[in-house]
This record gives sequence, structure tokens and C-alpha cells, in this order.
Amino acid sequence: MSALVRIVRAGPLATIQDAGRHGLLVHGISASGPMDQGAFRQAGALAGAGSGAGIEMTRAGLDLVIETGAVRISWAGGAFAVRINGAALGWPGAARLSAGDLLSVTPGSAGNYGYLRFGARLDLPDVLGSLSTNMRARLGGLEGRALAAGDRLRFEDGAGEPGPIATAPVEDGPIRFIRGLHWERFSAQVQSQFVGARFRISPAMDRMGVRLADEDGVFGGQSILSLVSGPVLPGDIQILGDGTPIVLMRDHQPTGGYPRIGTIIGADLDRFAQMRPGSVLAFEPVSVDHAHRLLRSGQT
Amino acid sequence: MIETSRSGREGLLIVPLGDCALLVRFGDSLEDGANRAAQALAAALDADPIAGVVEVVPSLVSVLLRYDPAATEPFRLAGEIALRLSRPAEKPAGSHRIGVRFEGPDLAEVAAALDLTIADFIAQHCAAPLRVLATGFAPGFVYCGFHGADLTLPRRQQVRPLVPAGSVLFAAGQTAIAASDIPTGWHVIGQTDFRNFDAARLPPTRLQAGDLVSFEALA
Repeated sequence: MSALVRIVRAGPLATIQDAGRHGLLVHGISASGPMDQGAFRQAGALAGAGSGAGIEMTRAGLDLVIETGAVRISWAGGAFAVRINGAALGWPGAARLSAGDLLSVTPGSAGNYGYLRFGARLDLPDVLGSLSTNMRARLGGLEGRALAAGDRLRFEDGAGEPGPIATAPVEDGPIRFIRGLHWERFSAQVQSQFVGARFRISPAMDRMGVRLADEDGVFGGQSILSLVSGPVLPGDIQILGDGTPIVLMRDHQPTGGYPRIGTIIGADLDRFAQMRPGSVLAFEPVSVDHAHRLLRSGQT
Repeated sequence: MIETSRSGREGLLIVPLGDCALLVRFGDSLEDGANRAAQALAAALDADPIAGVVEVVPSLVSVLLRYDPAATEPFRLAGEIALRLSRPAEKPAGSHRIGVRFEGPDLAEVAAALDLTIADFIAQHCAAPLRVLATGFAPGFVYCGFHGADLTLPRRQQVRPLVPAGSVLFAAGQTAIAASDIPTGWHVIGQTDFRNFDAARLPPTRLQAGDLVSFEALA
């Protein structure tokens, strides 16, 4: 199976992603990779994508047309609407598309990120071991940038076989976190208020970080200054000088100097990434042991 | 309950950073001893890797260890880390000469604030090699230090939204080199043609923590 695919319409900040560019933090490069790793894997299983790269879409979706050849394409992540040549299909799902077929993904009821994956290998240059786009560092994907209408993607033989998809139970409830490096620097009052307070996802969100509105004023006027900057990871909850909490995401800066009250656990980071602006959330602390049990029982 | 452990070294802390990483921190202020201790641990982890650790990231006063939670857990890791803290390794330091055109927009202000002529500031800045303290903030961005107390200034009040790659920056007793276009609150004192980041090479950076950098004034 090989195919040439043309992007007809790209929503803002649609990017090429694979599992990520891991191991380069020491050089100042964050790993990037999918914002919702579970959905990326689910789409991968549906397409037989193996470890191949796919497209991460934002809420506006994306349209593409197969110019030549044929390829199996799958979709998953959040809840979008998908049509092939005008006919609606279920989400998530997969289909084999041939020359002339138009795939259209339009906004749906839930989620910020959807994934298209392919049963063939995306032919793009490997950059430092990955095809993932890091727009901050302008690496990977197509010249380190977001996809745009008119872009052409070539797919060649060499992906895997479609497989069963794991459907993890949909979690609800608080976003769980591990208490962080600077937890003890916050007052007992802030510590106790942080747990259970209402935070709202703000519209200021992208692959680098998600700003939260501190609706209960937990951090009002609080700032902790003069920290030595150090390595940060996706899920770190840092508190800016004006008290705004920001959760670092996949294209985070390699280091940060703001106090970090905690880090969202791996089992909840995908769910957090899919929460739309306006969504309300609360944080709940858990132990590392507990987080590991969740990782074992949930995904992969 | 926070899972921390303390060993003999004053200020040493091992804390979880989420559920897939530990951070070993050697102090909460940026000083030479903590920075050297972080580099020594990173070298020891390089020479004698710990099973299940997938990435080691030395930073200014800390070392991050990312691990595979299917392969190991924090308690066992803390023991392995303690073992390597007791026998720190040293990596042979590379040395680099980096030419700088001292003509940055803040040069005159910096010299004046230090009560020096521009020529004297440049001479003192380049008098001795600096050590690469860490890479961080942006791809290939390096912190080099330390200057003496008489060559130490705080950051600027205002952040410049963008300075170009190759900018040579000065603040907090350090000189830093930008390898990409970045925002910065540091004083811009010059420009270099040296680029510490090349995405086409693996590894993509040339300067490593612990290396010595001699800055040379270009005419």
C-alpha cells in the first residue's frame, strides 16, 4: 500500500506526531509526541500503523484527499465527526481509502485532539530520531511547522497490521497528581486549598502548556521567587509569579524556574489534555505507588 | 505523603517528579559545589547506568532521572542513586574557544553598572575560562559560570521578546549563549557565530556540562 495524500483543509496547529523524540532533554529538547497518547495508540491499532507517524488534529479537524494509491486510515481521540465522500462514519474507526476519496473530520462533541493514522509509513525525514513536530524548536514534521492546506504527504509500505484496540474505562473525577519538588514551599493553607479547589481550563492552551483559571483564588497574590531553574516534564503544574497555574504539556520548555506544586500522573494526563476550555477540574494527590498501579491496570 | 530521602550531603534531596521520574537536587541556590555535585552524579550514572533508567538529565543544581515504571520503582532507584553518590565520577572536560563580537545593546550599560570601562569589562569577562554549568531553557542554550562577585549583575527589569541565535548573554554571575532565537531578561553583551545546536547531528549540541569555554573578543 502506498499513497499520496493532500491536505485540503487544516485546522490550526495540526501537526505530524509519532511516539516522540525522547532522550534529548539534556540538549534542551522536549520529547513532543501526542497530547493524548492513549488515543494515538488506539488509532494506531485501528490502522495497523505500527510505530509510524500520524496527524494530530485540533478541534477544527482537517480534510484530506487521496491523490494517488490507496491506504488504510484510522481515526480516534476525543469525539469528532468524520465523513468519507460525504458519508458519515463512526468515531473512532478506520477505512481503506483510494485515489479520489475525500476524508473530512469536523468538530464534534468532546476533546481537543484527534488522530489520523495510516497503515503505511509516512515518508518524511527523521529528525533526531523522530518525525514529531516541535513547533517551539521548529523540528520534525514538515519543516517544524503545522500542516497547511496544499501540503502533500507520501506514504510507503512498511507499517504494521491492524490489531485489537484496548478500550480503557473512561475515568472521571479529579485529576490526580504527585506532590512536587516545591510542595513544601507553599503554605499549609495553600496546600489544603489546592486539593479540591475549582480550576477552569482557560482558552490559553496549546502543546506547550495549559493555563488554568484559579477560580477559588488559591494562589491569589502568592509568589515564590528566586528558584534555580531545573528540568521539567509534561504534567508539571507550575505556578507563575502572578499566581496563575499552568500545566506543562508535550512541547514544554526543557527547564523551568517557577515553583511546581505537583505533577499530573501518567494515567490522567491524556484525559487532562482533552479537557476543553471552560471545563472545571479539581486536583487530588496520590502516591507514586498508586500512580504505578493505575498505569499497570490501564493502558498498554 | 511526599517520598523524600536525605543523605549525608547538606541540602541533598531525592524527590519524585511525577510517576516516571526522580529528581536529585543538591541545593536550592545556584552555587558551584551543588553544580559540580550534579555533574559528578550524572557522570557516575553515565559510567554505571541503573537498570530501568531511560534518561539522565544534569541541570544547574539537580539531576533528573526518567525511569520505566514497569522496570523499576523509586525506592530501589534511590538505593542505586545513593550508591553512585558515594563514588562520584568525573568526565574529562572538553575545552572550547568561542569568539565574541562585544557589541551587544546592553554592553555599555553593563560596564557602567560594574564601574568599568567597556574595554576593561571585556578584558575581565574573557580573563579566565568559564565552566559549562548546564544546558537548558531552549535547544542548545548553555549557562557558563561563574564570574566573580565583582562581575555579577542581576537580570534586566524588562524581558526582550526576541534576541537572535548567537546572542551572548550576561547576568547572575554567568554568561550564556543562545543557540536559537529566544526571549530573554539577560543583558545582551555580544554576538557569536558559534551555534551550539544542529538538528542534523546526533548529538545535536557540542558543549557539555563541565566543559571549559574561553571567550575571545573579536575585533
